[in-house]
Amino acid sequence: MAGLSSTIYNSVFKRTSTFALACVGAVFFFERSFDLTSELLFDKINEGKLWKHIKHNYEK
Amino acid sequence: MLKPTNVSLYLKATSQVVSNNIKPLHPNVVITKKLVTPTPQLSLTSFTLSKTLPLGNVRVISGPAVSTQVRWAHTDINVPDWSQYRRDSVKSSVAKSSESEDSRKNFTYLIAGAGTVTAAYAAKAVVTQFVSSMSASADVLALAKIEIKLAEIPEGKSVTFKWRGKPLFIRHRAADEIATEQAVPVSSLRDPQHDNDRVQRPEWLVVIGVCTHLGCVPIANAGDFGGYYCPCHGSHYDASGRIRKGPAPLNLEVPFYEFPDETTLVVG
Repeated sequence: MAGLSSTIYNSVFKRTSTFALACVGAVFFFERSFDLTSELLFDKINEGKLWKHIKHNYEK
Repeated sequence: MLKPTNVSLYLKATSQVVSNNIKPLHPNVVITKKLVTPTPQLSLTSFTLSKTLPLGNVRVISGPAVSTQVRWAHTDINVPDWSQYRRDSVKSSVAKSSESEDSRKNFTYLIAGAGTVTAAYAAKAVVTQFVSSMSASADVLALAKIEIKLAEIPEGKSVTFKWRGKPLFIRHRAADEIATEQAVPVSSLRDPQHDNDRVQRPEWLVVIGVCTHLGCVPIANAGDFGGYYCPCHGSHYDASGRIRKGPAPLNLEVPFYEFPDETTLVVG
């Protein structure tokens, strides 16, 4: 366990350059997942109210 | 208790106080400790010179750096229990802090990194929102392009469409019209432009129907040159939309357009 945390610390957190790079990389995935999750949540809360849910009633 | 008899003691220049065994006798003589300073010696020999040197325990006994107050805090204050605020790995007094150093730092940096990621996401969202507010809105974009079915326009007819709030003339030119316009010598024109420079396909003329004089809408198939005629001030345009007679200074404007296939025209 100590070996793993040392590896992580020395390879990522020790240098500002790698830390910043890790932040930039993480924000890429964070943005995508956060957007998808919030979109999913919005659709779930507004189930049946949005155009895409009632579209089939009006278009063929 | 302030009484005139008490106060009179202090107001008198001299006092003779007799003890009456009820009140303590005020001391009328204050013995101050006499400040003893060593008399400077004449430095005549090395021995007397050495006597002037500050030997022994030299200390600062007055000044701003010297505390004038001593508080024995350990005697009356209980030291709080900070163990809730301390990392588990170093709570024990025998634990080596260097062993858990990396994992403790990892945790700290992970929290800082999570904050950075969230802040970067929020900053990007704000910047994107402000930048996208400068771009064209959806209703403008919806009007930005117009698609026209060419089969609906018979030959020799000019049809008017509305495009970006302006009239758009699309003219299906006949072969004799094309021949006439291409034969016009460019040097004789006010705004010299050959017919080939104004059309992509010779049979289709696409111009914006706004007179270049003062912005009236010209009438199709009218005027001396068989093209467009502006009724406001009498500007005559030919079947290529070029100014031939009247006050207008320039030819009718040709917008950007393209033919995606043989039967469709997209303007914008």
